[in-house]
Amino acid sequence: MTNRERAMNILHYKPADRLPAVHFGYWGQLLGEWADQGKIPRELAQDNRDGSEKERELDRLIGWDFNWYHCVGANFGLSPRFETKELEILPDGSHRILNGDGVIEKYKPGVSSIPSEDDYLLKDREAFETLYRPKMQYSPKRVDSEFFRHFNETRPQDVPVGLHLGSVMGDIRNMTSVVGMSYLLYDEDEELFADLVDTYAEMQYRCAEAVLGSGARFDFAHFWEDICFKNGPLVAPDFFDELTAKHYKKRCDLCHSYGIDIISLDCDGVTDKLLPTWFENGVNTMFPIEVGVWGDQFEAARKRFGPGMRGVGGMDKTALREDRAAVDREIERMKRLASLGGFIPCPDHRLMPGTKFELVQYYAEEIKKIRI
Amino acid sequence: MNTELLNEISENLQHGKAKVVKELVQKAVDEGIAPDVILNEGLLSGMNIIGEKFKNNEVYVPEVLVAARAMNMGVGVLKPLLAEAGVKAKGRVCIGTVQGDLHDIGKNLVKLMFEGKGLEVIDLGTDVAPETFVQTAIEQDCQIIACSALLTTTMGVMEEVVKKAEEAGIRDKVKIMVGGAPVDEAFCKKIGADAYTPDAASAADKAVEFCLAAAG
Repeated sequence: MTNRERAMNILHYKPADRLPAVHFGYWGQLLGEWADQGKIPRELAQDNRDGSEKERELDRLIGWDFNWYHCVGANFGLSPRFETKELEILPDGSHRILNGDGVIEKYKPGVSSIPSEDDYLLKDREAFETLYRPKMQYSPKRVDSEFFRHFNETRPQDVPVGLHLGSVMGDIRNMTSVVGMSYLLYDEDEELFADLVDTYAEMQYRCAEAVLGSGARFDFAHFWEDICFKNGPLVAPDFFDELTAKHYKKRCDLCHSYGIDIISLDCDGVTDKLLPTWFENGVNTMFPIEVGVWGDQFEAARKRFGPGMRGVGGMDKTALREDRAAVDREIERMKRLASLGGFIPCPDHRLMPGTKFELVQYYAEEIKKIRI
Repeated sequence: MNTELLNEISENLQHGKAKVVKELVQKAVDEGIAPDVILNEGLLSGMNIIGEKFKNNEVYVPEVLVAARAMNMGVGVLKPLLAEAGVKAKGRVCIGTVQGDLHDIGKNLVKLMFEGKGLEVIDLGTDVAPETFVQTAIEQDCQIIACSALLTTTMGVMEEVVKKAEEAGIRDKVKIMVGGAPVDEAFCKKIGADAYTPDAASAADKAVEFCLAAAG
């Protein structure tokens, strides 16, 4: 059985010989640590992207079967992106940078944390119409037709590969920052935010349509959102539903018409309040189910939605910084969840600095011993 | 006193109507309502309701942010008058995201909730060294140091803040509050901090409790 067959069988409640050892990539800093410790060759620590050949080489070294986040798609972001430029260096050494989404970020050399959002361009109707709407239009140039023409032959055949469907609200949050998104939601121009979501979503739908129309075939499709945090959603669930439901449905219906019936969605944080919008409109696989840091749960979702709700994730990755006993406890928990069917264990986000190489190898090895 | 006008301020603040709130606060000032009454019974009353609703998941981050923006517009009108009348804040807090961490959404939310409870907040920003928290608390006479972290790799800095406060001999005068995604009650106890709260609104309640206790 290939890992592709294993994974897709499990998510379709069909027999599989064992669990696959699945992961969700790494913080760059961790790979640097492992290279410093002599665990991995230095070249594997650099530019190790999801689904790349380098990553697959690292998978073999560690014992992983594959990364779930191996997805390809069109260029469904702003096009062209804003030109990144440094605006100023502040007295504390921070750099203020205009990024490709039009957000002004502050970062500090030597601090590995992601930058903080300082300001943003998308503040009103005029900015939307002049700066953003032109960058949100569909064009055939967004789809690499040559790549997709040969995709079915050139893609890895032994692991699942997904079609990336983009995002409905997460990308817009990236363009405005959380504060800017909040202000836009309550702008005096009440139609503005909906216009923004609809314009962007239509372009992303057409991108997915063009990729699928090229004849490229996928094992699953995938959204990215990241619209929740420790205390739940970043926006009111009814507002979220009103703005986004039709767009999820449209893209999921498109996937169904091409025979794709597993549609996963990556959202960090506690997702329970937004699950109905996703599930009722075609998303049926939670990922990465952040149980460790945020306390998200798969069992509760399964009880609530039944077997139609699948999951990839849910393993507390912090155990991989501790010891074998902590990893064993997680493996036992994963066994129980996997026995529900439709669930593939995977660390609940990218492995972070301090993660022990040998424990990751041990986890991957033990997970593969679990029979379904 | 025009309680209808104060209620209107509170209502509009809860709906994030910043311009309306500013106009209504000015109207209240023009009608001769004392600035501390406008602040407490109009603006802070509205922000309290939003805070409670946020705690109970009845409203979400955007509603808090737009309400806070409205409150700040109203406070802008009142600030010189409050200073003139000698109205003091309920307490003073210095807040920041700990060294090595640039995430500030959670920290900013807590700051807004603190301000919504009538506390004066000194915002130290992100990537704040333990010494800076402690030095600020001493120089600005803060009753509370509030530390935020999003990363498991940076939360350990909070323990350093506690240690530095002990070394500086201010541990009995300053309460240390901790929060953020990876932080929990057990971690708070382990490092010897005074309080962990699961959300921004509860943090504000706890901070007021500490300040009232400090005031005797």
